[in-house]
Amino acid sequence: MMPRWLRWAILALVMIFLIGPFFVIAAAALHGGETLAFPPKDLTLKWVWKVFEVESFRASFGLSILLAIGGTALALVLGVPAAYALDRFRPKGSEAIRLMVTAPIIVPGIIVGLALLRYLVIPVDLPMIAALFVAHTALLIPYAVRVVSASLANLRVDIEEAAVLLGCSRIGAFVRVTLPNIKSGIFAAFILGFVTSFNQVPISLFLAGPGVSTLPIDMLWFMEFTYDPSVAALSALLALMSMAVVLVAERLLGFSRYV
Amino acid sequence: MNKLLGPALTLPAVTFIAVGFVLPVLILLSEAVTVNGAFSLSPLIGFFRDPGSVEVFWRTIRLSGLVTLTSAVVGYATALAIVDSSPSARGRLIGTLILPLMVSPVARTYAWVVVLGRTGLVNLVVVGLGLSPEPLRLLFTETAVFIGLVQLLLPLMVLSLVSALENIPADVVPAARVLGAGWFTTFFKVTLPLTREGLVIGGTLVFTGALTAYITPAILGGSKVLMLETLLYQRIRVTNDIAAAGVIAIILVVLSITANVLLKRVAGGRSQ
Amino acid sequence: MSDPRYLALDNLTLAYGGSVAVQDLSLTVKQGELIALLGPSGCGKTTTMRAIAGLMPVAGGTVTLAGRDLTHLAPNKRGIGLVFQSYALFPHLSVEDNVAFGLKLKGVPAAERAARVKNALARVDLAHLADRLPKALSGGQQQRVALARSIVVEPGLLLLDEPLSNLDARLRLEMRSELARLQRELGITMIYVTHDQAEALALADRIVVMRAGKIEQQGTPEEIYERPVSSFVARFMGFENCFALEEHKLVGAGGVLPAPAGASSAGLAWRPRGVQLGSGPHQGEVLGASYQGQSVEYLIQSAAGPIKAEADSSAPRHAVGATVAFDLPLSSAAPLTSVD
Repeated sequence: MMPRWLRWAILALVMIFLIGPFFVIAAAALHGGETLAFPPKDLTLKWVWKVFEVESFRASFGLSILLAIGGTALALVLGVPAAYALDRFRPKGSEAIRLMVTAPIIVPGIIVGLALLRYLVIPVDLPMIAALFVAHTALLIPYAVRVVSASLANLRVDIEEAAVLLGCSRIGAFVRVTLPNIKSGIFAAFILGFVTSFNQVPISLFLAGPGVSTLPIDMLWFMEFTYDPSVAALSALLALMSMAVVLVAERLLGFSRYV
Repeated sequence: MNKLLGPALTLPAVTFIAVGFVLPVLILLSEAVTVNGAFSLSPLIGFFRDPGSVEVFWRTIRLSGLVTLTSAVVGYATALAIVDSSPSARGRLIGTLILPLMVSPVARTYAWVVVLGRTGLVNLVVVGLGLSPEPLRLLFTETAVFIGLVQLLLPLMVLSLVSALENIPADVVPAARVLGAGWFTTFFKVTLPLTREGLVIGGTLVFTGALTAYITPAILGGSKVLMLETLLYQRIRVTNDIAAAGVIAIILVVLSITANVLLKRVAGGRSQ
Repeated sequence: MSDPRYLALDNLTLAYGGSVAVQDLSLTVKQGELIALLGPSGCGKTTTMRAIAGLMPVAGGTVTLAGRDLTHLAPNKRGIGLVFQSYALFPHLSVEDNVAFGLKLKGVPAAERAARVKNALARVDLAHLADRLPKALSGGQQQRVALARSIVVEPGLLLLDEPLSNLDARLRLEMRSELARLQRELGITMIYVTHDQAEALALADRIVVMRAGKIEQQGTPEEIYERPVSSFVARFMGFENCFALEEHKLVGAGGVLPAPAGASSAGLAWRPRGVQLGSGPHQGEVLGASYQGQSVEYLIQSAAGPIKAEADSSAPRHAVGATVAFDLPLSSAAPLTSVD
C-alpha cells in the first residue's frame, strides 16, 4: 500500500506530463497573434477556421478516412477467416502463418513504404493510391488477426458444435453463432485499425506526393513552412477527433478490454 | 474437407501479405547487400565508415536505451500507484493512459514544439522567473527528442506493468509483509521478480518504438538531431541514395527483430 | 502461569469499503490457547484476523499483544504469523527459500537458517520437496509449506485463515489432526478462522461465534455445542428446529404447537436426533424421508411448520405421505435466550 499522498503525487505528475500537452496545443490554437505563442493572447477561433479552408487538408482528410475505413475493412475480410482458421483448425505451419501475419508490425513502416514504392509502384506502374491502400491494409492485418483471435479464444468451441447438431451447416453455424459473438471483437479491431491507419505516417511517407497524401503527412509538410497557430489548431482538432472516436467506442463496448 | 479448409481460409491473408509486404521488403533488404548483382557487404561497411552515419547509429541506440530506462522507472512508479487505487479509479486511469495512444503522433509531438519553443511555456517560466536572460534553445536537441519519445511511449510501459502487477497472486505481498519484509525488501525481492515478464514486454515495446520512431525525431530533432529513420528519409529524398537507405533498413530490421525475439524468449520461457 | 490477556482486542471497530465490518468487538486470548473464530461468510472473522495482523486499518479500539499496543503498527513489525487461505506462497522461490524468507529478513545466519528450515520441513513432512517450486506441489503440500513458513520464525501468535477449506474432505481431516498436534507440541497461541463447525469443535480450546461484526457467543466447544444461547448459534451447531416460546406455545415458521410443560426460556431448539418419532402428543405428515446409511432423515409437516427428525435405520420406517406421531421433549431441548 502506497501512502496516499505519494500515489496522488505520482499520478498527478505523470498524467500532467502525458495529457498536459493536449491542453497546451488547444490553448495555442486560440492565440490571436501571427506566430506560435503560449500562453495565448487575444483568443480567437480564426486559426481553427483557417484549417477548414485549406484545400489540401480537405483532400488529405478525405483520403485518410478512405484508407482507414477501406484498409480496415479489407484487413478484416482477410484477417477474420485467417484468425478463425488458426484458432479452430490449427493447420500445419500455424506458427509460420501466424508469424507472417504479424510480421508487418515488426518491420519499420518506413521500409515498407519505400519497398512498395520501388518494387510495386514503379515497376508495375501502380497508382499511388492503390499502393497506399495495399500498405495500410498490410499493416492492419496483424491488428485484425490479433484482436479477433483474442475474441475467438474466449469463445467456446462447443457452441458451434451444438449448432451443427441442431441442424446448421458449418458455414451456417459460423454465421449464426460465432459471428454474433465475436461482433464486439470485430468492432474493436475496426476501431483500433481505423485509428492506427489514420495516424500512420512512416508507411505513407514515400507513397505520398502532391495531391495524394494522408492528413498526418500533409500536416508534417505544412509544419515545415508554416509557423502560425493553424498547425496547433489542426493538431488539436485531430486529437479531439481521435479521442472522440475512442470514447464513443468505449461507451459502446468497453473497448479497453481489447487493447 | 477440414484439412483443406483451414489453410484455405488463411490463404487470402497470407498471399496478400506475401505479395504486398514480404516480397517488396525482402527485395529492398537484399539490395543493401548486393553490389552489381553479387553479394557484398561493402554498402554496410561503407555505412559504418562514415562518421556521420555512425554517430546517428549510436545516438539512436543510446536515446532509445535512455528512453526505455526512464520509462521503466517512471512507468513502474505509475503502475504501482495505479494498482494501489480503487477499482473504479483504476479503470479511469487506464482509460486516460490509452487515450493518448490513440491520438496521432504528429499532434502529440507538436505539443512539445509549443511547450519547448522560444516563445513556449518552458521559456515563459524560465525567462519570466529570471532564471535565464535569454530564451533557452530547447528544440532540435537530443533532450527534446528524448522528452517527446518518453511521452509517446510511456503508456505502453505502464499498461504492460499494470497487467503484470495484477497477475501477482492476491496475498503474496501481504504474506511477505507479515513475514517481516519492509517496503523496499518486498519490492525488490517479491514484486520485481514476479513482474519481470511485464518489464521485458514493456521494455521491448518502448525500445523498438523509440528505435523506429520517425515523427518525433523529425519534428523535435529536425536535421540537427538525426535518428536512423529520419536519416533514411533524408538519404532517399535528398540524395536518392538507395543503397544507404537499404543498409539503414537492414540495421533497423535486425535491431527490431532481435528485440522482438529476445522478448519472446524471455516471456515465452516463463509463461504458464 | 500463562497470560490470560496475551492477545487483547478492546472495542475494536473496523470499516471496510464504506461500511462497518466489525463493531466494538472485545476479545481476550490466553497464551497457548487455540481459539476458533466461527461464523458464516461476511460475519467479520477474516476482517478481524487481518486487523490483528496489521493488514487492515483500525477505525476504533486497540489491539494488544503481550502488553504491546499493536494497533497502528506496520504488519512487518508485529511478530505475528499468518497462514493465508490461498497459501500465498512465493511462486518464484523454491519450497526451501519460501520457508527461509522470514528467517533471512531477521538476519539469522546461514547455517542456523538452514537447520531451522530443515527442521520445519521435517515437522510438516516435506523435507524431500525442499527444492521444488510451488506450482509443482499439490494443494495439501502447498498448505504445509505455508504452515512451515509461518512457524519457522517462531511467531508469538499464529493466525490461520480457513487454511483447510481448499482441500478435499479426506485431506482436510488429516491436516486437521496435524494442526492440532503441531499446536500442542509448539505451544503457539493460535487463532483459527473457519466457517466449518466440525473443524472448530475438533480443534478449539474456545470457540467464538461471530455474526454481522459482533460476537454472538463464546465458550468451550461443549458449551457452544450443547448450550447455544441464540437460534443463530443453535442452527449453526445443528439444531435445525428452532422455535420462539410464547405463552406455552412453540412459535415456528408455519404456526404454533403446544410447548412442553416447564419451559421458561425465550425459545427452544431441538436437534433432528432429539425429535421423538413414533409416539407423542403431536401429529404430522411425512413430507420426505432420505436414507443416510446409519440413519434416516425425515421431514415432517407440523402445526408449527416443517420439522427435521432423524432416527436409526434399524427403527421402524415411516413412509412418505403417512401420518406419524412425534414429540418434542424438554429433556432434549436447548433453551435459547434469543430467537430470530
